[in-house]
Amino acid sequence: MSEMHSYSWQKVEGTGNEKLDLQELKEATVESFKNESDNAKQKLVYSLLETIRNNDQKEFFYILLKTINKPKESFNKLWGELQKWYELMPEEVFINFAYSIIIGIMSTYGGGKNE
Amino acid sequence: MAEATEYLTQANTLKFTGNWFIDAGILGFVNLMEEVYGWNLEILQKKINEDEEKVYYGYFPFAYLCKWLSDRKQKVNSELIKKLKEELEKKTFQNTKELFDFVWFNFICNLFKELWIKSKSKLIYKNEAYDKKNKTKQTIDYKNTQTYLQKIGERENLINEIQDKHQEEIKKILKKRELKKFEYDDLEKLINYNNGSISSELRNSIELLKEKHLGIINFLKEEWENNVINQQKFTEESLFYRIPIDSGFYKNFLFFNNFAGNLKQKDSFYDAICFNFDKEEILKKIDKTVNKFLPSEEEFSNINYTKLSAEPLKKQIGYLFVYLLCFTHAFENYRNIGYVMFYSNDLEFSYKINRKLKLYKKKIENSKNANLIFNVTWQQIIDSLVECKSSWSLENMYIISYQQLDNKTQRNVEYIGVPKLQASILLDDAIRENLNKSISYRKVKEKQYKWQWLIQEFIKGKPLYPIIFGHVNLTLNSDKNNKISLRYGPCLYSLMVEANILNFKNKNNKKSALFSEIFFDSYKSLIRDIKEDIRFSSFYSSLIKQISSDTNTKNRIARELLNALKTKDKNAFLNVLLKDLNGGEMLEFGSKFYDWVFEKIIKNEISYEMYGLLLVMNLLKGGESNE
Repeated sequence: MSEMHSYSWQKVEGTGNEKLDLQELKEATVESFKNESDNAKQKLVYSLLETIRNNDQKEFFYILLKTINKPKESFNKLWGELQKWYELMPEEVFINFAYSIIIGIMSTYGGGKNE
Repeated sequence: MAEATEYLTQANTLKFTGNWFIDAGILGFVNLMEEVYGWNLEILQKKINEDEEKVYYGYFPFAYLCKWLSDRKQKVNSELIKKLKEELEKKTFQNTKELFDFVWFNFICNLFKELWIKSKSKLIYKNEAYDKKNKTKQTIDYKNTQTYLQKIGERENLINEIQDKHQEEIKKILKKRELKKFEYDDLEKLINYNNGSISSELRNSIELLKEKHLGIINFLKEEWENNVINQQKFTEESLFYRIPIDSGFYKNFLFFNNFAGNLKQKDSFYDAICFNFDKEEILKKIDKTVNKFLPSEEEFSNINYTKLSAEPLKKQIGYLFVYLLCFTHAFENYRNIGYVMFYSNDLEFSYKINRKLKLYKKKIENSKNANLIFNVTWQQIIDSLVECKSSWSLENMYIISYQQLDNKTQRNVEYIGVPKLQASILLDDAIRENLNKSISYRKVKEKQYKWQWLIQEFIKGKPLYPIIFGHVNLTLNSDKNNKISLRYGPCLYSLMVEANILNFKNKNNKKSALFSEIFFDSYKSLIRDIKEDIRFSSFYSSLIKQISSDTNTKNRIARELLNALKTKDKNAFLNVLLKDLNGGEMLEFGSKFYDWVFEKIIKNEISYEMYGLLLVMNLLKGGESNE
């Protein structure tokens, strides 16, 4: 493993200076979705769960990125996080990563506007 | 001077050494003295401080052999014990040898009078007194052998005569089909036969036989009293006057050896007490001879380098062999269970608990539940800990048990350690009460289940999760006619205790804190963590009940979650859980609930299964309350 680059799942193991912080990821998600409508979030969560079940990382990121591809300031933090960590991960790391995002979205239910 | 006295007191103090079989001996010594003289540990310690030699050379040998007799259901004259106490109180002795000899001849020999007489009157046939070369056997050879054998011969003739004349009647009395060799038991049966339905001729013959037998008894009694107790001069006839003792545990060891005469028995017992290995080679080594838990000298793996010698121990433990001899007395025999001893690193603590256990002996023996000994022991440990406030005794606690232990066999020897971690957790009342339950966890056949006692598994350091999983599975799949209700409390406590221990161990492993000071302090915080987790987790996990108001739906979700847990598939578990939460009747479980799922399941790689199972339990519990 080169010192120049280490994958996030290696960072999860705690070898590098940077370590995947699930808490930060979740908080960024909450920040991004707290003002979205419950209906939209419910559909999004459903689609994301389907992709995780099949360990389809490509599809997961595709749906997520498509959803947050809006010029809203609240998405900035999550953009930053995704930029930092986006890469192919081993399944067990991806699961924690993806579910942290989903739980972040779900914990904002009831907080947004209902359409 | 004061310092010297203090030093002496310390040197005399009975305390554990850290070596469990020597410690078991020390405990056995205390038990022995209590049983025979009624002294508890405190009084015994006082007696040792007052006059150590009298205790070890006077009271001990007598007590040891008293116990030997009473263990074999022989009568022990309580007057003799009283007299010994009086005599030793008032008498002073020049040295330990004089003291020991005094006790030996006046009390020990007196104590064994009946048994010795019985052993000598057991000889029914005169010719059995001779060896192949027609010489009198060594064990019978003494100055009055001829008189003794003549009396035996006369009785033998009479027995033969009666047998010939009244064969049928005797068969009936002895309840035997055929009369072959007449045994001592037959003789006793015959002379004690009181039923009137025998012929007067036989009755007269039996009276005559009784007289002859009494004649032998009286003759032997006189010989013993005149030559052993009063004269004490029987150097060459020592073997004839051998005290008839043996032991399966100390086979052929010193005074138990069949070829040690009375005087040899006396001397070797004395040498064992004062650890005189110059005279007794056997005292030089500690091996299987003195304790069946040890290998024999040849089997010791380090024998190529050095022999395990008792010599260096003499300075530290002056009465080592006294303790080694008392090893078996540390154990209490429980019917159906075997010999059991509780051991910790503190004499007083171990003594107290073993004493309390004995109080429950009947209850333990009468119970059909084999776990009761463990249950009772545990209860006593907790009570005593609370009483003595000595939580440091928690380290190195063991329950040692065996069913048979002698030269050839060591049957069912068990050595159960009670780890400090588990023990300190169980000190908490709520945790202990909840774990002190048996729960069903597997179906054997219709209406019949396997049960497991949680506390026992916990103390043995075995995981509780599989048992709780089995129980939840059983509850979920039980049919309406034969409903098994969920034991929520014990399950909740088991899961939370286990989850926190796993996290605790994981944290400490990373910090390599095993040998640091924090390790012991963090025990306290562990209990606090467990209790806090129980409070929070039971609340947040219970929110899942709101997922649906329909019992069947909740059971379906529970089944799916349980299947995911069964295959240890975290992805599937979270997928089922979140999908059902996302598509449920309501979405707003509150961010705290999701935070809890995030913390305890998503972020948690160590113990997420326990929290997952807790969610399943709440789904089932909710179902029950709705019904």
